[in-house]
Amino acid sequence: MGSGGNDPFTPEGFGGCVKGGEGMSEGNVQEGFGVFEVFVQKTQADFHTHVGSVVAPSPDVALMNARENFLRRDLGVNLWVVPRQCVTATPYDSEGDWFAREFDRKYREAGGYPENGRLWKMYKEKVLQLEEIVEDLHGKGDKNNESASS
Amino acid sequence: MNREEKETRFIERIKAGMKIEATDWMPDTYRKLLLKLIHMHGISEIMGALPEKEWVPKAPTLKRKLAIMAKVQDEMGHGQLLLRVAEDLAEPFGRTREDLVADVIHGRVKFHNVFHMEAPTWADAGVIGWLVDGAAIINQAALLHTSYGPYARVLKRICAEESFHMQHGESIILALAGGTDAQRKMLQDSLNRWWESLLFFFGPMEVTESAQQMIDYGIRTKTNEELRQQFFSKYVPRIRSLGLTIPDPNLSYNETTKRWSWTLPDWEKFRKIVRDNQGPKSQERLNLRRFAHEEQAWVREAMIRSRLKGSVVV
Repeated sequence: MGSGGNDPFTPEGFGGCVKGGEGMSEGNVQEGFGVFEVFVQKTQADFHTHVGSVVAPSPDVALMNARENFLRRDLGVNLWVVPRQCVTATPYDSEGDWFAREFDRKYREAGGYPENGRLWKMYKEKVLQLEEIVEDLHGKGDKNNESASS
Repeated sequence: MNREEKETRFIERIKAGMKIEATDWMPDTYRKLLLKLIHMHGISEIMGALPEKEWVPKAPTLKRKLAIMAKVQDEMGHGQLLLRVAEDLAEPFGRTREDLVADVIHGRVKFHNVFHMEAPTWADAGVIGWLVDGAAIINQAALLHTSYGPYARVLKRICAEESFHMQHGESIILALAGGTDAQRKMLQDSLNRWWESLLFFFGPMEVTESAQQMIDYGIRTKTNEELRQQFFSKYVPRIRSLGLTIPDPNLSYNETTKRWSWTLPDWEKFRKIVRDNQGPKSQERLNLRRFAHEEQAWVREAMIRSRLKGSVVV
């Protein structure tokens, strides 16, 4: 678990990360302790997912605290801990919405083409769905295909 | 935006069901109310592990021992998750985890009345899991819709683990309820011991000024009495189905008003327990907390020193 002699955690700046990125606070660093954001990878078919944060004096201890806090029941294959200062985030509430949707984006989605089904009926055929292809190839409920077929 | 516009915008966001985040602007009253609530919640989780911890060495079977250990660990874990949320709120006041943890030792933060009480028999371990956790779950589930995002997210994880605590408590009391006369009596005695504390746990009948403010800010959505009524509805029929007697002759359900009437506990007695740490176990448990915190101070310091020297802590 240890990161050997290359421990990136230094008291000066948590591995040289720029302090206080956009939308982030400085992060409640008590004397010698820091806040680490925790990411859990449930299986190797999944990406790491943010689950919360821990306070720790070093990345190694942050990893142990993260395991104790977030994996008492849930399974995981990998953990990341990231000093909070290293996260650059968008603001939640500001002038000019980062996530504004001026247009109807249905045309980007599978569900944006509901007429296909009706048209196929004229040819006595059905819409082809991705799920059907994945299922034919890998069977139902295959973990590796969950994201592909959802 | 000036202060007033910010405040108006803030209220609009809450009314629209939007969540507030740690990095958002928030009125001081909102921050202070939340901090007080979450600080007490977190510290109560940690103090709440202590009465149950007393039963780890005395649990009747290995399976029971493992299960109650898991529960004690969960309570400590919940305390850590909640203190993490509290810390971010306390940051503008220059207060850290160390301060929030030490506050309970110095009597600067209170913890729930139920954790000041004795747990003398194995039935108490069961009743704590069944009814004390049951009451806490109703409280926490009601808070799932709180306007503060970081609290809501942590509560989601806590509630998921509480569902294990519910089954754990029920498993213990069901075993006793189906046991010998002595075991059934043990269970009844325990219920008698806990009943008043359970009702006080939900807080006073009247909606205090700060409770109203918390409702206005969307921190809470239900009143104390609404939650207590739900507790009655969920638990009274189950308690009675086991043949147990609830130690309140005035407890009854009114079909027309759809409400339970009940005997008010001695509020002043319980207020004193919480305010002055004058419960039967308050001082003993606070001493244990102080001992644990102070005796391990050198470990916390050593971890920092070892990092500064570039060595690896594992």
